[in-house]
Amino acid sequence: MKPVWILARREMAATFDSPIAYIAGALFLVATGLLFFFGLGGTDDFFAGREATVRPLFEYAPWVLAVILPAVTMRLVAEEKRQGTLELLVTLPVTDTQIVLGKLLGAIGFLVVALAMTLVLPGLVLAIGHPDVGAIVGGYVGLLLIGTAFLALGLMASTWTQNQIVAFIVGMMLCMFFWTATDALLRLFLDQPPPELALLSFQSQFTDFARGVIDLRNVLYFLSVTTIAVLASTYSLRSRHWQ
Amino acid sequence: MTASAMIQVRNLVKTYGDKNALNGVSFDARAGEILGLLGPNGAGKSTTMKILTTYLSATSGSVTVDGIDAAVNPLAVRAMLGYLPESTPLYSDMVVYDYLLWCGEMRGLARADVHKRLTDVARVVGLEHVMGQVIGTLSKGFKQRVGLAQAMLHNPKILILDEPTSGLDPNQIIEIRNLIRSLGQNHTLILSSHNLAEVRQICDRVVIIHQGAVVADGTLDELEGRVASRHHLIVGIATTATHDADRLKSLLAATPGAKSVTFSHTSQAPVPTAFFDVEADTDIRSALYERIRGADLTLLELRRKSLDLEGIFQSLTHSV
Repeated sequence: MKPVWILARREMAATFDSPIAYIAGALFLVATGLLFFFGLGGTDDFFAGREATVRPLFEYAPWVLAVILPAVTMRLVAEEKRQGTLELLVTLPVTDTQIVLGKLLGAIGFLVVALAMTLVLPGLVLAIGHPDVGAIVGGYVGLLLIGTAFLALGLMASTWTQNQIVAFIVGMMLCMFFWTATDALLRLFLDQPPPELALLSFQSQFTDFARGVIDLRNVLYFLSVTTIAVLASTYSLRSRHWQ
Repeated sequence: MTASAMIQVRNLVKTYGDKNALNGVSFDARAGEILGLLGPNGAGKSTTMKILTTYLSATSGSVTVDGIDAAVNPLAVRAMLGYLPESTPLYSDMVVYDYLLWCGEMRGLARADVHKRLTDVARVVGLEHVMGQVIGTLSKGFKQRVGLAQAMLHNPKILILDEPTSGLDPNQIIEIRNLIRSLGQNHTLILSSHNLAEVRQICDRVVIIHQGAVVADGTLDELEGRVASRHHLIVGIATTATHDADRLKSLLAATPGAKSVTFSHTSQAPVPTAFFDVEADTDIRSALYERIRGADLTLLELRRKSLDLEGIFQSLTHSV
């Protein structure tokens, strides 16, 4: 596992060396902050609601993450392919899986920093009222899990191309698809979608976390999506052998 | 095919789609030798190196490094190798020291060991003064040194360098060649090049690859012996009032063993000189010299015509 940590450390340093991390981080904080306090079009005004809750944060943050996280992952492999550094990286005595995990872990480092910076919001709510602490913890666990799944999807998209913009757009479309489209599509075709199909939807899996329920099934769901994306990324790196 | 072969390459075939990049390449690299892979662009040198370094898999055939099959245990093979790919890809946003430290750690060296080793390697490749610089700001020559440094950091048994001097200016080329030559004393080294002079200067042995196949394998002297133009000479004689180019030509043509003599050109500086191409089946240099001296002429130049790569390929591909 050691190469994974060494790689993750470099990836995180590289992320914070580039302006993208700061743009994405600032965008995340501003967008979640605005949505938290004012909701969409003022429908969810925090101050008018007179309720000490962090729920809006967990409602809106995944939307923002689905857009900014692919911007963080887009360079991970695409840039190495374009610059040719991938050839040196994959001929180091490490496995392709270790490379993918290291890159994912480095990106998770960014996610943790970004989420940590939003802790000021629950801090504020805790200072002025008595919110459900369980819901806050559950929500953050959920954001970490859904964020990790988004990162893995973005990383997978980055292994498919040399072009960062393509990686970003494909990654964002994948994230958006899993976050929104499955629910919307299901409702489009079925009045009452069978509960099994909700397995496809990040939203249905995420709701419990925001209520403070950490259900092992939901945890496993996000970990499974992440694992599948990691396997697909590894496969994509390996595909150089038979092209 | 000796037992001391550090690297054994057997019948490598690589197809990209329906295009054959390699059609059965076989050669050995012995421990401690500098082997040059020579060939024109697109001959299959880089593909061979990518398979040697386990970046790519061969469609068929095998690579054995120090007794280990690269397809079966690629990680063990990678641990023995240092690799400098063509055009030296590096993380341009990293500081030289941090990058090399990272490479060392990725190769499983302990941090303290890397630091010590880095100091040694930096001295060998001449990077001491740029260790704190961002790689992207370095000149091409220094980037090449960083690439060499990462390849030799873990003191690998084998160094594989893909066109290590391409894109460098003449001074940098000389420096990097000297560096490689000195590295060859402690490592088995395979380098690729399309520059014959470079291979002559650096390599103990050459494998010539042409259209995805090995057309020759041996020392450069051996190979040149097989090439017909070995006895192709260039002769420069000082012209005088009584000896113009035509008379000189007939004089040379009368040398025993001379097959053909062609007037090449005259040059006025520093002294008026006429140049001729002389071809023969055997080495007639001493006979030529005697003939010129006997005619009381001044021989200013007598050299074997240097081989160009195209000439070698033509001769070799025709004779194979």
